[in-house]
Amino acid sequence: MTLFLQHAWLIPSLPLVSFLLISCTPLRRKHIQAAWLAIALIAISALWAIGLLVAVASQVVQRPGEPSGFAFAEPALIQRFDWLPTGSSTMQMGFYIDPIVAVMLAMVTITSSAIHLFSLGYMAGHPRQARFFSFISLFSAAMLLMTLADNLLLFFMAWEIMGLCSYLLIGFLYTRPQAAQAALKAFITTRIGDVLMLLGMVYLYTLAGSLAFGYRQGEIFAPDFLQQIGTETNRLGLSHATTIALLLFGGTIGKSAQFPLHVWLPDAMEGPTPVSALIHAATMVAAGVFLVGRTYPIFLADGGTALAWVTFIGALTAIVGASIAVAQFDIKRILAYSTISQLGFMVAALGIGGWMAAMFHLLTHAFFKALLFLGSGSIIHAMETVPAIHRIHHHDEYAAQQSAQDIRNMGGLRSRMPWTFWCYTMGYLALIGIVPFSGFWSKDEILTDAFVHQHWLSYAILSAAALLTAFYMTRQWRATFFGAFRGDKPRVVTASESESHMHEHEGAHAESDPAPQRWPEDWRMIAPLVLLASFAVTAGAFNLPFAGGHWLSDLLGQEHASFNLLVAAIALILAGIGVWLGWSYATAFSDAHSSDPLEVRAPSLFQSLNQRLYVDQFYRASIVRLAHSLATLWRWIDTRIFDRTLDGLGDLTLRFAHVNASIDDRVLNDGSDALANGTVASGDLIRRSETGKIHDYLAMIFAGVVILGVIYLYLF
Amino acid sequence: MPAYLIAAPDGVPWLSILIFWPIAGLFLLWASELTPISQRWIKRAVVLWMLVPLAIVISIWLRFDPNRVVEGQGAIQFVERFAWVRSIQVNYFLGVDGISLPLVFLTVVMAPIAALASFSVEDRYKSHFALLLLLESAMLGYFLALDFFFFFIFWEFSLVPAFVLIQLWGRDDRRAAAFTFFVYTLAGSLGMLLLFQVFYLATRATGAGSFDLITLGRLGQGLPTAGYSADLQSIIYRWVEQIGIVGLIGGRPQFYSGIAFWCIFIAFAIKLAVWPFHTWLPNSYSSAPTAGSILLAAVMSKMGAYGMLRILLPFVPDAARYFAPVMGALALISVVAGAFGALSYVNGDLKRLIAYTSINHMGYVMLAIAAAAALGAAQQDSRTIAINGALLQMVAHGLSTGALFLLAGALAKRTGSYLLSDFGGLRAAMPAFAGVMGVALFANLGLPGLAGFMGEFLIFRGAWASMPFFTSLATIGLLISALALLLAFQRIFLGPIKQKWQHVSDLDLVEWTAALPLLALLLIGGIYPAALVNLSNATVYALVEIFARAV
Repeated sequence: MTLFLQHAWLIPSLPLVSFLLISCTPLRRKHIQAAWLAIALIAISALWAIGLLVAVASQVVQRPGEPSGFAFAEPALIQRFDWLPTGSSTMQMGFYIDPIVAVMLAMVTITSSAIHLFSLGYMAGHPRQARFFSFISLFSAAMLLMTLADNLLLFFMAWEIMGLCSYLLIGFLYTRPQAAQAALKAFITTRIGDVLMLLGMVYLYTLAGSLAFGYRQGEIFAPDFLQQIGTETNRLGLSHATTIALLLFGGTIGKSAQFPLHVWLPDAMEGPTPVSALIHAATMVAAGVFLVGRTYPIFLADGGTALAWVTFIGALTAIVGASIAVAQFDIKRILAYSTISQLGFMVAALGIGGWMAAMFHLLTHAFFKALLFLGSGSIIHAMETVPAIHRIHHHDEYAAQQSAQDIRNMGGLRSRMPWTFWCYTMGYLALIGIVPFSGFWSKDEILTDAFVHQHWLSYAILSAAALLTAFYMTRQWRATFFGAFRGDKPRVVTASESESHMHEHEGAHAESDPAPQRWPEDWRMIAPLVLLASFAVTAGAFNLPFAGGHWLSDLLGQEHASFNLLVAAIALILAGIGVWLGWSYATAFSDAHSSDPLEVRAPSLFQSLNQRLYVDQFYRASIVRLAHSLATLWRWIDTRIFDRTLDGLGDLTLRFAHVNASIDDRVLNDGSDALANGTVASGDLIRRSETGKIHDYLAMIFAGVVILGVIYLYLF
Repeated sequence: MPAYLIAAPDGVPWLSILIFWPIAGLFLLWASELTPISQRWIKRAVVLWMLVPLAIVISIWLRFDPNRVVEGQGAIQFVERFAWVRSIQVNYFLGVDGISLPLVFLTVVMAPIAALASFSVEDRYKSHFALLLLLESAMLGYFLALDFFFFFIFWEFSLVPAFVLIQLWGRDDRRAAAFTFFVYTLAGSLGMLLLFQVFYLATRATGAGSFDLITLGRLGQGLPTAGYSADLQSIIYRWVEQIGIVGLIGGRPQFYSGIAFWCIFIAFAIKLAVWPFHTWLPNSYSSAPTAGSILLAAVMSKMGAYGMLRILLPFVPDAARYFAPVMGALALISVVAGAFGALSYVNGDLKRLIAYTSINHMGYVMLAIAAAAALGAAQQDSRTIAINGALLQMVAHGLSTGALFLLAGALAKRTGSYLLSDFGGLRAAMPAFAGVMGVALFANLGLPGLAGFMGEFLIFRGAWASMPFFTSLATIGLLISALALLLAFQRIFLGPIKQKWQHVSDLDLVEWTAALPLLALLLIGGIYPAALVNLSNATVYALVEIFARAV
């Protein structure tokens, strides 16, 4: 068993190997081999991670309670080596494995394996399939490395590489301008959070002298260090712990798409659907939650100020995400807003002190949301082959894709895609929290925490968000799988988001291309769905709130969740109301061109939700414009002020040179010229006397003698 | 020789060989006029010739003992010193320590890359390669010379080949750019030239006059130095008192070292292109030919930062501490101005955009230097981390910006344009090119796993301890420069391909050869930055001791 522990480094290394092999060897042109290599290595990683989990579970040592009432279980293994000299000290790098890490590793590798396999079907025939597998392998490696990191710096490094992979995979179909734009938006928006996190890290590092996880002296959870940063204040009047925690939380806001940085996640749906499932639902976006979970003692060190903000942001995001999802038509965007909302649940849970509930929900959500995304991928894949939609593909590839994702063009898929339907339904029931599916148990634990700790406002907001969740998911589920198939006369969404109707085709092919009763379902896409569906159904059993069911709490060394019948009953009633509303509401989609009932009844409300509460427009008008104006301003300063000043200085120098030259010319040169001329002229005069005739000289000598004689005689 | 100067273990004057090797190549290049060797082979021969200094530097690196700290400073190794002009105490004095070795390494790596980047030069190619050799020699001399006389000669001398390269092989308004570049640097260093006359006279008044950078540096830091009993500040003050200036205008010793500080600072700040002395940079980087841009951006801009570490911090530590907030503020403005300047060119000239990101990156280096000197409770470790980060950032920036200019040149060779709005969708035609440029670009914007990130992280970590306010504002630069670079990438490579670029060719062998070593070094620096930081750590730790002591 210690074999799995000692060689835990293999878990991130195997996907890294497939990345390197596929990128740097001729394998990059062999699509099928590349894909199977990636799948095989991630599957081995998954087996290794499960072995590791068993090894860790067999020897959990609970840590005696800290003053804050929360403590991680003791690590099963720490491997560190000297990495970087920092003055008189040395920074260390390594792996840190405690039970939560083991659980995360298992979750990530299992979902990742399922998604790798799914991609084999989904990306089949794509000309850059091998490239796709190399990117998702790199992503998996980074995510696993982040999980294993023994310090916040390595955590951050892997975190940023995930951001890179997210950028590359959102923009995978790079010839589409929308994809390139969405990739850029995702990278920059999350980077806003990342620089805050970076500041939090350097702040923490400066105070603690290290970024290593752990409770020992010199590590960041050392009790007296936490005591110190919790009480000392900085110049802002906040305690160190509060400031550090909020800066680190900035990273979570970006990565986990929390309000107000949530805007990138819906756009990230431009990436291929397996990417949405892996990165933008199950793993990377959950990393933000994991960050708070991982550094939780720092959030607790200040006595609740930081966590109050965490709760606020989480609850706000939960309700905002759920509201916007109500008015979307794109099957993936609905799921994206649902992800935002569910991440808000987790963050809020952390804020109200429910670390265990948040981690539990993170796990169950990863399974059922990956399932829902893969299910939507299976649907979209099939929808793209519907003749009416496939025909659009010839003029406008992007519009074809958008039409294939529009729930108004679906309907009746239950009988056409039964495997997908049943798997999707498992995920749906888990998400809306129907007993006994996994989402019920984890969400119930969050709500119970809020209820028991008397966070009434959070409880109310989260309950409302749960109601909305049941509503929008039922709307989507019913519009997709029930009723009549509407894709024969599709509504076409063009790139500019305005809708047009392609009348010229409609009449013709409605009769000529009758859709087959049952569409083919690729086993490579169905097998992962079944695997994930089985987790979506059963993952709740890891941590039932009954005696004997607390496996996960015991493993993570946390208190057992209590079961509150009132909370559970209210949750189920709310979910029931949501389902009832959604079911009766979605009947309105009789054909692809009918309007949403809410749009008819409350057009302005619907419009503002459909336009995502105008947050994107607001950013575009404010921050983006500000950045570009500042750029123009700086350029203006450079060209108009500095370059002009320099030119002016140059001119001044030239003028000075002119003055200098004219002084030289007029005074010095002309003066000496005059002198020279005078000399020459007198020379000329003198020269004339030089006749070269001896009698002239004799005459001059005679004259000279006469003059000297006169001077001598008369003057002296 | 004092104990802190250590000669080469084998007695071979390796550093002189290093400096004069490229110059010897120059003569061979002239001699090749007499032989029928083809152009192609001459170009290859120059690159091979330039690999010899690289081999020498690697052998020096392997024998260099980075942890040797003697009498309060990192030991200067591979020293060569003998009298040159006895009457004014000028010595021929070369040596390396943990601060110069990384930059010497950067120089010898970038020189062959620049030569590879000039393979497409046809017009007067021999002169072009001769100038590259000359420039390499001058830059090596600058980083190795430890006597002001030679230091300054190499400083000025490096301008000449760079000037001619821009003047003859440049583009656009190359004449104006070359002229500004030359005059700006020259004019900026006049103050420093005069200042060293003062140093000489002042030290002569108390003992032996000196142009020795190490001796003067030790005096400045107040380290015990044979032959002198006071520190540099009081030596200068005593001298200005003696010649009657104090009587005339008054002032405390700090006042005079403040003047010295500004003389030194302006000279180096211009070279480092710190705001507001930065405007020569975009013009000359963008006007220079590819090889010129590579060497200017990758190596020559580091001459400024090196000068600050070698002269500014040790000579006038009190003044540096006093003016640290000013340096920090200028650094912050550089960071922000560089980033926004780059953003303003996302539809404009690619080379200008890269040039502006250089201003941004050198701003971080300036910030680290300011923070290391700043008054405050920051520990010696934090200050060391800042300077280590600055050195790592210099090398990383040299490698990544060198790669970017290399690829920008290769792109222009294919398309005839540097204008970002001209491109679009090129990734479809040249996937490998896009991949390599992508790595260089992500290295430049500080992606972990590549060297730039560790430089920035260490700078932020070190600077936070003494300048949290400036450091937190400097993160704006991280965002905006990333935005500018990614937008540039998007403009060139992403989106639907334009008709006219359908048949643009991918990377050729020469370009692969030039780019791969850079990417490999960036990767090594990002995964194991200790490879470089190990060289400088002990030296820097000793250097910043005076600033940590003065709380």
